Amino acid sequence: MVQITINGKQMEVPEGTTVLRAAEMAGIHIPRLCDHKELTPYGGCRLCIVEVQGVRVPMASCTLPVNNGMVVNTETEALKKSRKFVLSMLFSERNHFCPFCQVSGGDCELQNAAYQEEMTHWPIQPGWNNFPVDTSHPYFVFDNNRCILCRRCVRACAEMAGNFTLSVAERGAKSMIVADTDIPLGESSCIKCGSCVQVCPTGAIIDRTSAYQMRDRDLTEVKSICNGCSVGCSIKIMVRDNRIVRIEGDWEGSVNHGVLCEFGRYNAANESRKRITTPMMKKNGKLEPVSWEEALKAVSAKLTPLASDEDGIAAIASTRLSAETLTAFKDLFAGNQLVTSLEEGMPSASVMKFAEKQGTFEGKLEVLRTADTVMCIGANVGNTHMVAGFIFKRNMPKGTRVINIDPQEDALDDVASLKLKNKSGSDLALILGLQAIIVKEGLERRPMSIPDVDARIDEAVRATAISLDNLSQAARVLANSITPVILFGKGITGQRDENLVEELYKLAVLVGAVDSERAGLISVKGETNSLSAALLGLDQIFELNGQKAVYAAIGDSFVSKSIVERLSKAPYLVVQASYESKLTEQADVVFPVTVWSEQEGTFINLDGHIQKTTKVINAPETVRDNLAVISELAVQMNISLNSNWKEAILARKSSVALN
Amino acid sequence: MNKPKIASDWMCGCAGCHMSLLDMDERILKIVELANLRATPITDLKEPDESGVDVGVLEGGINNSANEEVAQKMRQRSKVLVALGDCAVFGGVPAMRNLCGVQEALQRAYVDAESNEPGSQIPNDPELATMQQTRAVHEVVPVDYNVPGCPPDADTIFYILAELAQGRKPELKNELLHWH
Repeated sequence: MVQITINGKQMEVPEGTTVLRAAEMAGIHIPRLCDHKELTPYGGCRLCIVEVQGVRVPMASCTLPVNNGMVVNTETEALKKSRKFVLSMLFSERNHFCPFCQVSGGDCELQNAAYQEEMTHWPIQPGWNNFPVDTSHPYFVFDNNRCILCRRCVRACAEMAGNFTLSVAERGAKSMIVADTDIPLGESSCIKCGSCVQVCPTGAIIDRTSAYQMRDRDLTEVKSICNGCSVGCSIKIMVRDNRIVRIEGDWEGSVNHGVLCEFGRYNAANESRKRITTPMMKKNGKLEPVSWEEALKAVSAKLTPLASDEDGIAAIASTRLSAETLTAFKDLFAGNQLVTSLEEGMPSASVMKFAEKQGTFEGKLEVLRTADTVMCIGANVGNTHMVAGFIFKRNMPKGTRVINIDPQEDALDDVASLKLKNKSGSDLALILGLQAIIVKEGLERRPMSIPDVDARIDEAVRATAISLDNLSQAARVLANSITPVILFGKGITGQRDENLVEELYKLAVLVGAVDSERAGLISVKGETNSLSAALLGLDQIFELNGQKAVYAAIGDSFVSKSIVERLSKAPYLVVQASYESKLTEQADVVFPVTVWSEQEGTFINLDGHIQKTTKVINAPETVRDNLAVISELAVQMNISLNSNWKEAILARKSSVALN
Repeated sequence: MNKPKIASDWMCGCAGCHMSLLDMDERILKIVELANLRATPITDLKEPDESGVDVGVLEGGINNSANEEVAQKMRQRSKVLVALGDCAVFGGVPAMRNLCGVQEALQRAYVDAESNEPGSQIPNDPELATMQQTRAVHEVVPVDYNVPGCPPDADTIFYILAELAQGRKPELKNELLHWH
């Protein structure tokens, strides 16, 4: 601990703390523009200057580490004058005329700083130079005229998304934020995560969908969990008049710390499917609107006699539904044999099976933060579960190596230190081969007897069609790492082979990814509530064999062609859905239900965080909650939904610790 | 009658700041009580008294030789000069044409705009004032008080005028200070 005095206030702070953070701890606000608590200090705007006793000139507090006995003043007359000068220089640089700016009136940190310093004007007029405005991006507009070159966006791009698209070109007054090699943003390597929009302190980067609609103070901020995938990022939903205006990453979020991917940030804005608002029933071969009473009565009349017949009803649910809903769904069809999820256990069945034998073996996403090598196998984190990818991509300049193994194309290939494109279906041979190479070269961290080492290596080279050199290189990089992590996904689990997971686990033990202290083996799973569905055992393959009716609770999910095709064989089909689709077209009865933002519930993310989502907006009046529909149907069918979701979920051994 | 005299004028602005002045409603009677309202765009007198006024208020920026004259005259005849509104303080919306230059702006407005009759041309009557780069008042004459806002609130204007009329020095901050 280090002693420091700020504005006469004595305090102790940990060594390495910056003066700015120390002041914050003491409740003293120092104005700043380039500083952001989630980004590396940069010292660019000079607004956070403070006086340090014994130092001749004012110092930027955001980059100044505390020293023992340091005496700091943040509010002297000289500092106020200097700050005003710094601000007038910033205003004079480009076009900072407030009346026609989207963020003016409360949302602009530059303007707010000027008000705080009680600036009534700027003494030096701008140079009237035009800077480029880039409108090529689908989600935001980049106006260099409003830019103060604080480089928050550049740092967010690198340190949050790990994408390194934005940088600064030219020098001095000509400095300009550019994408890649100064190409339009819309054509650049940008992955559209929108982190730069969220951190921009001025109106330089503005969100297309919400721009010029209202100020932040007119919005209600509701915290919730993203419904995009099993990563389960914390989000802040900005709402007005029962409408989602914008979605932002929640800085307090324990999983994502403020970062989101394109889907998470813009899915509400991108939703273009047609909403179903009334119950419908097929009459004379055509779906006709009916009342809830009529629809529920017809369905219960049809399903009640089949409820206790093992092969009477087949039921399939979306893994985007809450744990409460999935538990009720399972209870409702307890008498039937084929009760599963839209994912059919692809992301989890083999993992859960292995967990029954091995116990909890998966690690937390946290381990990715300190990983020096990440091997992704069939994980596809360049395209899905992207935030999991961000966690290690951002460390690549610090030396983190990424090995991407996937027969399919993946956006991660572009940045991976090593990519292996094995032949599809050769994953087991590849994993066994890597184990064998490590043992043969004596690189294993833990002794393990591997039979037929040479034969395995030969087989790996043959089956994967990857050269021995490349395989060996991957094996060496992995084995020589200090904190390796192995990330796997549907490419592996989709094969429903428990053996694959087991061999991957062995490889993880061999290279020290998994030992008594670390658990560096993680499966990315599937949709938002993939893990809950797996723990509830909703993981069978959906294959109809003579069932007389099918109940599909798909909520707001997209349904794959293959499922639609298999469901077309259903003699009687009830669909509980929010949007019109090929599936609802072929249904006999359609129940209109809430979408993710209109309901609350519990979701378990890929590394076992039990999280609650919030009801953000009200559904149309004729639409009912997913859980409510199942409960009402249960009442009509005289089936009691007794199970407590928590008990039901905890009944099965989980592959990852729940918390 | 020894009440302080207030005069105002407008230049390259939209009259919105004077509208906002009128927005103070019945409080204008309070101002009249405290001060002698002389030449303003909304009273009959057209020029500030030659003998001088205590407070001169200017709305709008300076964008031609006529504006320049108005600004000079107001400065010469006022003890205290107030720049009222974003155009007077910063140049405001009219200053946006500085980004393309006077010629291009005139060409666009009088010739190229879709709504113009074919064959329209830029007015060139020698009696017209000469167009210049748009400037804030403080770029042309010294200003004592800058009151930003597009427009400044009636509350802000009332506060400024009332304080000045009573010989005090107004301090713009918190709710009264905004640039938009």
